[in-house]
Amino acid sequence: MTEAAVRLVSVTKDFGAVRAVDGVDLSLAGGEFFSLLGPSGSGKTTLLRLVAGFERPTTGRVELSGREVTALPPHRRDVRTVFQDYALFPHMSVEQNVAYALMVRGVRKAERLARAREALATVRLDGFGPRRPAELSGGQRQRVALARALVDRPAVLLLDEPLGALDLSLRRRMQTELKELQRTTGITFLLVTHDQEEALTMSDRVAVVSDGRIEQIGPPVEVYERPATAFVAGFMGTTNLLRGAAARRVVGRPGTFSIRPERIRLADLAEPPAEGERTVTGRVADIVHAGAHTRFTIALPHDDRLTVIRQNLAGLPPSVRPDAEIRLLWDHDDAFPLPS
Amino acid sequence: MRAPTARPAQDPGPAEGPPPRPAPSPGARPAPGPRAAARLRLAARLRLAALLGPPLLWLTLAYLGSLAVLLVSAFWTTDSFTSDVVRTWTTDNLHELLTTPVYRTIALRTVSIAIAVTLIDAVLALPMAFFMARVAGRRWRRPLLVAVLTPLWAGYLVKAYAWRVMLGHDGVLNRTLAPLGLHGPGYGTTAVVVVLAYLWLPYMILPVYAALERIPERTLEASADLGAGPWRTLRSIVLPAARPALLAGSVFTFSLSLGDYLTVQIVGGKTQLIGNVIASQVTLDLPMAAALSAVPVVLIVCYLAAVRRAGALDSL
Amino acid sequence: MRKTSAGRSAAAACALLLAVTACGSDDGDRAAKAPEKLGKGEGKVNIIAWAGYAEDGSNDPDADWVHPFEKKTGCRVDTKVAGTSDEMVSLMKTGQYDTVSASGDATLRLIASGDAAPVNTELVPHYKDIFPGLKMRPFNSKDGRMYGIPHGRGANLLMYRTDKVSAAPDSWRAVFEDADAHSGHVTAYDSPIYIADAALYLMKTKPSLGIKDPYALDRGQLDAAVALLKKQHRAIGEYWSDYQKEITAFRSGDSVIGTTWQVIANLAQADKAPVKAVMPKEGATGWSDTWMVSTKAAHPNCAYKWLDWIVSPKVNAQVAEYFGEAPANAKACAETADPRHCAVYHADDESYYRRVHFWTTPIKQCLDGRENTTCTDYAQWTRAWTEIKG
Repeated sequence: MTEAAVRLVSVTKDFGAVRAVDGVDLSLAGGEFFSLLGPSGSGKTTLLRLVAGFERPTTGRVELSGREVTALPPHRRDVRTVFQDYALFPHMSVEQNVAYALMVRGVRKAERLARAREALATVRLDGFGPRRPAELSGGQRQRVALARALVDRPAVLLLDEPLGALDLSLRRRMQTELKELQRTTGITFLLVTHDQEEALTMSDRVAVVSDGRIEQIGPPVEVYERPATAFVAGFMGTTNLLRGAAARRVVGRPGTFSIRPERIRLADLAEPPAEGERTVTGRVADIVHAGAHTRFTIALPHDDRLTVIRQNLAGLPPSVRPDAEIRLLWDHDDAFPLPS
Repeated sequence: MRAPTARPAQDPGPAEGPPPRPAPSPGARPAPGPRAAARLRLAARLRLAALLGPPLLWLTLAYLGSLAVLLVSAFWTTDSFTSDVVRTWTTDNLHELLTTPVYRTIALRTVSIAIAVTLIDAVLALPMAFFMARVAGRRWRRPLLVAVLTPLWAGYLVKAYAWRVMLGHDGVLNRTLAPLGLHGPGYGTTAVVVVLAYLWLPYMILPVYAALERIPERTLEASADLGAGPWRTLRSIVLPAARPALLAGSVFTFSLSLGDYLTVQIVGGKTQLIGNVIASQVTLDLPMAAALSAVPVVLIVCYLAAVRRAGALDSL
Repeated sequence: MRKTSAGRSAAAACALLLAVTACGSDDGDRAAKAPEKLGKGEGKVNIIAWAGYAEDGSNDPDADWVHPFEKKTGCRVDTKVAGTSDEMVSLMKTGQYDTVSASGDATLRLIASGDAAPVNTELVPHYKDIFPGLKMRPFNSKDGRMYGIPHGRGANLLMYRTDKVSAAPDSWRAVFEDADAHSGHVTAYDSPIYIADAALYLMKTKPSLGIKDPYALDRGQLDAAVALLKKQHRAIGEYWSDYQKEITAFRSGDSVIGTTWQVIANLAQADKAPVKAVMPKEGATGWSDTWMVSTKAAHPNCAYKWLDWIVSPKVNAQVAEYFGEAPANAKACAETADPRHCAVYHADDESYYRRVHFWTTPIKQCLDGRENTTCTDYAQWTRAWTEIKG
């Protein structure tokens, strides 16, 4: 592997008395699609701004392609940002917006217009060049922001919640397009999002951020399946978190465990557990039909509760009705131990 | 045992379009009959007329009316000895205005001073407004704004006379410059430009400040992010954003300078501007004064038209 | 005092505008008559005056001759202070004032326009004590009738900084041909009437021009005066019409030589400015003020009472000292607080005032008696003045 496209070394950032980023080490490979995932206020946007150069770290180092850039201002760094609100220049046409980086570098007018049109074509906005940003829809502005950031092929593209302002179906489509764009251009993408689904579907690797620290870094499947901490388990999709006495009662072992709801099987009381399976019984407290899947809430003795999600593909045992006593089954391995 | 953690609530984000307007519920209130509705509309119109009538009347009669009288009287003449206005229709005043070289010289000088004042104010206001709006901490903005506005509270004449003292032969300026072997401009055109630029500066700073403050921080960051250094950002992003405000401010500085005749009396030395000529004619030869005052009126109308084309009036 | 007050002239302009548009001029009998005898006071009198001429103690508690007048006559005084002669003329045209303290460059215009009425001097007992040199002058009489009561007079002198002007000047040459010696620090009175100062100088130094009266200039003579003033313009630091401005300019050294009034010289000296005022050998222009009565006076009886009051020895002495001019009443000289006042202002020195050419309004008909020539009128002077200042 070549040297890291982006590297943060022991980076800390304080805003007054508040520590927004707390000793973060991070390394992005060239051509990687990397996501910073975390709730609002977790420090993920600050991390992105440290990379872009809008903020200087209180301590630590920022490197781009092996070169230290900690003290460099944003315009001296070969990274581009797609802002959450797009930050298009309202007094310029779409074309001028996209060509801005080229104009700054002194590229001749004819060439920069040609390249701006080309960039607009890659985001499927051919012919929109002469318009003003105010005349575009949210999705179109989003693409302009993308084209503007990509027009001179930066080494790294930073995306700050780029899809946050779009409606669901548009967001889905843009997710696919972004991923596709990243693959064809080979540019390193650093995405900041609070949407775990977005992070999971697009990224090569994900870092889950909480309280200015990185909780876990890894490929989406690994982070999802093998959360390193209770926070990660809780943040990455729905999970059943069991600790202390509840863990002993339900999992049968002491410790802290995460059981993904889709890993739990619903069965009749009469069905015996298979080899290597753990089982408990409970009462169906709630059934929520959510389109492709159905979510069940099962009340166990001692007020324990488990959530179970089943795809609406196969039929269910006839006993699964509201208030019915049923059996829950899962592989021992699906009760994933977490550090307490 | 803890309840299963749900996925964090998805932040809905701003909607694409406006939220659907709730449909009017028919039957929620009995719809007024057509006659009652007409009565309501009439009452509303009467109220509106009562509200707007007096100020509109005032505007038409006192403001536009006097302007019209002024323009009409430019076509009258006076008895040269008694200064009585003689109401016979003549274009002599306009003819004299257009053919006498000294009026052209004075008009040209007045316009040049107004332009110089406007340019100086623009050049001074930009960095000051930029500092106030974008550099100074939020805590400092209000005190700075107050500081800029404070001179407006002092009387116009007080400030002009203060400058007269400062620019005087043994004034602060000359005494400060003396050790350097220099001396100040003294009274004259330069002093007029300096003092007018000082007097009207707040009128330029305020709109520019408002415009610069409205530029989102993200926009400036985006510019830097795309490789633009501070100067390029200033030229390509900040200046265009401030341009309508600069033009709006220039409407104030230009027209105020064009009409001024007191400052020039106080620090202008022997300089005379259109305003002085009007003031000296107004009691003696009112029609000529009226004809003369058409000059700044025409100039300002031209300037407003030019500025309007540039879209600056939208932000006034 | 005689400062140009912009606000006031603007207000006057508006008033005039309204007057000409709303009322219109009624061309009634222009030959108004003087009253034969006075009746009872109307309880009120409206006055237009130079600042300092009708003091009621509000500016200086010691200067109050309005309240004693009100107490004595029962006529309440309402004073409108005017800044220039031109303003006085326009205010008189409104017909809302009873009397005005007009200078010579306003009097004839007021007489000609029919705004000022002849005065029956019999009804003004103190008229008999007025210096004879002030009676029946061209600027206050017409066809052998007085059109007002003389108030006081003064000369436009040449003032200079004794520390900056080495050789004491004795000629107006210092502000004309020799003005370049103090280039940028020469001052002159900012009014078209100042053209007369140049004409006076030419009258004495260029006899070939044939100027007999500085206020009676034909086209060629005016052009010569204008040429002289245009040359002077290059050396001018600033023109003045506000006496306070003039004092500060001389005190600071912005002006070192130029025209002045005696009162300005006195005040500047009191301010420790090293200045001196002299009457140059060519003589000087000056002013002689006259209290005139409006033809439309609503309160003529009170107006006549005011005329007599203001030229009574004690009051005339007070006004003359407060303003800094020579009183008109010969007996006033005995009443001044400073016993030398009349001497300083040459009040009884008729030879001094023979050298003073009092302001009067130039008209087409030459005032020097030439009959085959048309002279330049004040309107032309005004245009010329604009041109001189460029």
